[in-house]
Amino acid sequence: MWRYGGAVVRCGAKALVEGLERAGVEVVFGYPGGNVIDIFDCVRTAKFRFVLGRHEQGCVHMADGYARSLGRPGVALVTSGPGLTNTITGLGAANMDGVPLVLVCGQVPLDEMGTDAFQEADTTGLTRAVSKHNFLVKSADEIPETIAQAFYIATHGKPGVVVIDVPRDCQRAQTAAKYPARVSLRAYHPERFASSAQVNRLARLVNAARRPIIYAGGGVIAAEASADVVALAHKAGIPVVTTMMGIGAIDSDDPLSLGMGGIHGEPAACRALADADLVLALGVRFNDRTAAALPRRQWARIVHVDCDASAINRNVQVGFGIVADVKDLLATVDSRIRPASHDEWVTRCRQTGDEGDCDACATSPKRGYVVPKAVVDSVCRAAKGSLVAVTDVGQHQLWAARYLRHVRPRCFVSSGGMGAMGFGIPAAIGAAIARPDMKVVAFVGDGGAQMTAEELVVAAELGLPVVFVVFANGTLGLVRQMQKADFGSRFFATTMRSPDFVKLAGAYGVRGVRVSDQARLDAAVAKAIRTRAPVLLEVCIDPETLA
Amino acid sequence: MKTKKAIEETYRLNCFVENRPGVLARIVGLISGRGYNIQTLHVGPTEDGTVSRMRIDVLGTARVVDQIILQLRNCVNVIEVTCRKR
Ligand SMILES: Cc1ncc(C[n+]2csc(CCOP(=O)(O)OP(=O)(O)O)c2C)c(N)n1
Repeated sequence: MWRYGGAVVRCGAKALVEGLERAGVEVVFGYPGGNVIDIFDCVRTAKFRFVLGRHEQGCVHMADGYARSLGRPGVALVTSGPGLTNTITGLGAANMDGVPLVLVCGQVPLDEMGTDAFQEADTTGLTRAVSKHNFLVKSADEIPETIAQAFYIATHGKPGVVVIDVPRDCQRAQTAAKYPARVSLRAYHPERFASSAQVNRLARLVNAARRPIIYAGGGVIAAEASADVVALAHKAGIPVVTTMMGIGAIDSDDPLSLGMGGIHGEPAACRALADADLVLALGVRFNDRTAAALPRRQWARIVHVDCDASAINRNVQVGFGIVADVKDLLATVDSRIRPASHDEWVTRCRQTGDEGDCDACATSPKRGYVVPKAVVDSVCRAAKGSLVAVTDVGQHQLWAARYLRHVRPRCFVSSGGMGAMGFGIPAAIGAAIARPDMKVVAFVGDGGAQMTAEELVVAAELGLPVVFVVFANGTLGLVRQMQKADFGSRFFATTMRSPDFVKLAGAYGVRGVRVSDQARLDAAVAKAIRTRAPVLLEVCIDPETLA
Repeated sequence: MKTKKAIEETYRLNCFVENRPGVLARIVGLISGRGYNIQTLHVGPTEDGTVSRMRIDVLGTARVVDQIILQLRNCVNVIEVTCRKR
């Protein structure tokens, strides 16, 4: 930490950049414009790295991918008006999944606000529904404290998005305000602890259960509690099902891992949730996707632990709710948990029944196509356990979620709650910047790839060794699949012409390779992962394959 | 999904909030954005000039109103929320 002795006077823009430095920011993703140009002038000489995206949505998804894969807040910087409106999907995706992210955006000068000035937008109004909190700065003097508060709010309690709207005159005005030594917010005290009665009751329930299940969600990853959950599972002999956001909480080869639950999950995982006499739901929020897979009769058998009081009993009326940090709670309850094994139950949970046909895992593909599971398997083999898997939204996302193996915490990055197509490519770029020690592979559909393809050039510009795997099936697969199942195969608006992704990649300076022969898949994937530059693999998928 | 029919009643929420720009909009947005109607809304000062008091009557089931209260308590500028049936 360095100090500003006495009252150092500088402009608001400089104070803002110093504030970001003091908050420990190492990378900012952004895009310039007239109403942030003063801030950009100070970013030029900042201690943090600046990454120029090609669209503000891309910038926010990059910051999001950075935050999810690293466990530190992501930061984006954009201009007013269209710069800000372009961020909305990105903010919503991050906020829905509880990702800590701070967006700084320029605004027209205070005295022009409300006049429909050039590039004016009601930022606080527009971002309210996609953020945890937002600030409109009213003077340069407020800037350092606002930055500190924004990072505090983004990272305490359930993490989320905080937006700081900074009018141009406040960026230019002089201020001597200092960055606060600590943040104290009068009304926001999100720390919650379980009472000892709750801890005792939890221990009693776990010790008495004969068919317990742990259902681990994104909150486990966010709380860095994965190892604690696995330790509890082993001590008390409890099989673990995860939600999609909880992928990575337990290794897929762990004998207690049952894979993903929910409507797109493994049948064995869903059966276990349905047959359990205790469902220990940790850091899940029971959205409609996860709740639907859990029969109503099981609700009373759920113990729901989450740091967000409003997540408990929101969609599912649970038997026992505890508002607490998962990691804290597991540390507290540990000494009261008796070792157990539940061998018979674990064996029963692991039994695979009649899972039906799976054409995404067929052993021999149709001519000219590769099988989705073979693609995912091939990536896992080539990345040898140091994989950060980023996905877009669609069938390929479900295939990745289902077939990926040995995913570590924070190494499955996907837009769960919002399901925002266009997330994959930029989020993978953010992840590659956050985790240069890992192999970052993006799994994207040919639909979603067209939403944020412009960011490929950023990977080329920065020489980031990301592998973009485009599942080219010529359709908006997941929607087409719904038309097939629920609309009597009346297909409409789901088959589309796509660009030649190999050429498109080439135009952006990314090496493109098409794989239409499964015999060549492993070699192509292994080579792409070895390459110290971005590679796009267009894998040809039969459009009839269901997820 | 709101499937099961439960009785809707009017509840009065008393909120003490920091007197800052945007707080009223966030609170109203939180309730109306979820499709619930605010029947009456009264905002006024308290003896402490930095704190405002909001009195909000909403029509909803006990479950929905409980949710609203919990979400209001999550708001960064909300100091306290109490509720009683009208
Ligand atoms: C921004 C956005 N628009 C629309 C949707 C609805 N949607 C969900 S999946 C999907 C199809 C995705 O197609 P593609 O990217 O080709 O992936 P695939 O399902 O074929 O793997 C669509 C349109 C969405 N999730 N996000």
